[in-house]
Amino acid sequence: MQFILDIMAFLKVENVFFTYPKSNVAVLDDISFNSNEFEFLSIIGPSGCGKSTLLRIIAGLIKSTSGKVVLDNHEITGPSRNISFVFQDFALLPWLSNLENVKIGLASKNMPDYEREKIALDMLNKLELTGFEDAYPNLLSGGMKQRVGLARALVSNPELLLMDEPFSSLDELTANSLRYAVIEVLKDRKTLPKSVVMVSHNIEEAVEMSDRIVVLSSKPTSVKKIIKVDIKRPRDKGSRSFRNKVNEIYSIFAS
Amino acid sequence: MSLLIFLLLEDTAYSWVRMLIALFASLSIGLFTGIALARSKVLNRLLTPLIDILQTLPILAFFPFAIYLFVFYLPGSIGVNAAVIFLIITSMLWNMIFGVYQAVISLPEEYIELARISGLGLYQRLKKIFIPAALPRLSEQMSLSWAIGLFYLVTSEIFSVGTKDYTVKHGIGVEFVRAASTGSATLYIYSIAIFILFVIATRLLFFENFDRFAHRFYIKDYKKRKIERFTFNSPKKMPKLSVNLNRKARKAIMYGVYAAVAIFLIYVVYKITLIINFSILNEILQYETYSLLSLAASFLRIWGAFVAILAVSIPVSVYVIFLSEKTKRYMLIFQVVASIPATILLPAIAYIVYGDSEFLAFIIYFLSGLWYVIFSIVATTKYLPPSIMEVKRVFHLNGAVAWKKIYLKAVAPGVITGAVTGIAAEWNASIVAEYFSAGSNKVITSVNVGIGKALNLALANNNLLLMGILLTNMVAMIVLINYFVWRRLYNRVNAVYS
Repeated sequence: MQFILDIMAFLKVENVFFTYPKSNVAVLDDISFNSNEFEFLSIIGPSGCGKSTLLRIIAGLIKSTSGKVVLDNHEITGPSRNISFVFQDFALLPWLSNLENVKIGLASKNMPDYEREKIALDMLNKLELTGFEDAYPNLLSGGMKQRVGLARALVSNPELLLMDEPFSSLDELTANSLRYAVIEVLKDRKTLPKSVVMVSHNIEEAVEMSDRIVVLSSKPTSVKKIIKVDIKRPRDKGSRSFRNKVNEIYSIFAS
Repeated sequence: MSLLIFLLLEDTAYSWVRMLIALFASLSIGLFTGIALARSKVLNRLLTPLIDILQTLPILAFFPFAIYLFVFYLPGSIGVNAAVIFLIITSMLWNMIFGVYQAVISLPEEYIELARISGLGLYQRLKKIFIPAALPRLSEQMSLSWAIGLFYLVTSEIFSVGTKDYTVKHGIGVEFVRAASTGSATLYIYSIAIFILFVIATRLLFFENFDRFAHRFYIKDYKKRKIERFTFNSPKKMPKLSVNLNRKARKAIMYGVYAAVAIFLIYVVYKITLIINFSILNEILQYETYSLLSLAASFLRIWGAFVAILAVSIPVSVYVIFLSEKTKRYMLIFQVVASIPATILLPAIAYIVYGDSEFLAFIIYFLSGLWYVIFSIVATTKYLPPSIMEVKRVFHLNGAVAWKKIYLKAVAPGVITGAVTGIAAEWNASIVAEYFSAGSNKVITSVNVGIGKALNLALANNNLLLMGILLTNMVAMIVLINYFVWRRLYNRVNAVYS
């Protein structure tokens, strides 16, 4: 049964190794896991363990030393039009208005500009950014900047959405409301990404959002355990099952 | 041959002594002025407008005037040398003040609180906090200042040899001119080789070590501040007369001040017309016409060269910053090449484009301004988030779209600040680019009309009045262009970028 699931998996990370070419330091040591369609997968691990490197390998931004990443039966060899990315530091272009920044997500789509604008405005609206279309990113708060970052990543209807610690540069209250907004947007599973992979170092955040969690060890990094989170949504952080799941993950790190 | 090399080494040593005196003078002035500017609001308000104007003026164009003044008071070679050193200091100083100011102003508040809690006195604060904190940036700015200073050194030496009465006797510039006037390729090649040797040796032996030493004091969490130069402090930050006045009242006061200034000026002009002899007035009018004409001719050359600089520097910087993977190596090469002053190439270029003074002026202008624009672009793009290139790849921004949405926009602030300093450097070069004579009657290049040529002729004829009029016109033009063109552009860009 597991075998069939593995073959049919939407995203397959197979025996990925990564060593820094210059310093020859081994970072990723034989990483393998799968993600199915309509699954929210989190990767958590201690800081500096190479989570972000792994995510960039999935995105095709960095080449792995060996091993491969397969998305929907196609091997990833470079950045793909089906994959979108949300950056930890937002990475908005400061010289473009928020609307223009979101339109960047549609730059590779062959369509007239007014259509891009229409779709981008729609997306901004969904993320409650109406009224800020013509403002520049540096005038926004961190939370709103990341909303623009999310809008830019989602506007092209990617098959796979990758998020690199999307909430970690925000204060806790802002992060909380943005997590909620992301969950709301992702509910609509007909149009939006078939699969989401998020890197995080926040255990509660991972339990709150994900269907499964890949727990990584520290360097050289390998997969410690993959944990299924089958708590009913919407999830209550105070509930017993939630606390148990969080404690379970803490104990994996401690062991 | 060995005698020739010995002579060249001696000459270069003379030049380097001038440079080192100027460097240490600007180092100490820069350190204390920079700290004072950052720590004292009063000094900041008093000095900033002054530095604002001084740093964008082509001070080298004042060299003829400075020589005249210094030699008038300090006879003989002392005066000329003092003039050269003074000029080099004026070229080095602004960067250093700026570097120190930036470092101290972005020092985390905790350090100052610490000083207050520990009860450190002024001397202790300087020694334990401000000077060490300023060193890393100062070191960065110092090697830039050195490169600019070399340009001033060589250009002023070359210029001084071209005058009848104000020649420096020893210096590497002297040898360049001698090579040009005798047509000796051997001398020229040896001079350049030894000069470049000195440049590289100084960088490796002195600046690299100083940099390593200074970097120990690098504080990682400097406050994130807008990178702004004095030149473009936005008007918002200027002291307001009174916050409580409403707009109408403030406007009325402003018009009142304008009117008072205008009345005062009219009065001064009226007084002057009473004093001066009217036959001089006619002369002044002629000089004014001549200097406007010269200015217009030089303006066309300099801005023409600037367009060429843009056409080269933008693609080169974009390639080096964004596309190449060997950014660091390119930067090192650029730094060495940039510290070779364009003016030492003058004899060689004069030989190649024999007789075509316009083309020669164009090349000298081009080379004088080029590096300013490139380095300024590099400096301003250093603070962009590193993930921008990942954005480009993830969202597939290629070709024209990448240029339009990323590269051209990213370099814009650097182009604007680089334009101000680059164009100032071009005006600086004018005193040798447009007219250059080796010895009394061996004219190597001379354009028909231009500000550089006019300044040369004015000094040759000891015509102080003409010199004054030429300089006043030039300064007025540069200040106006800075205010109406660059400052506005910069404010607009800065509002969006940071």
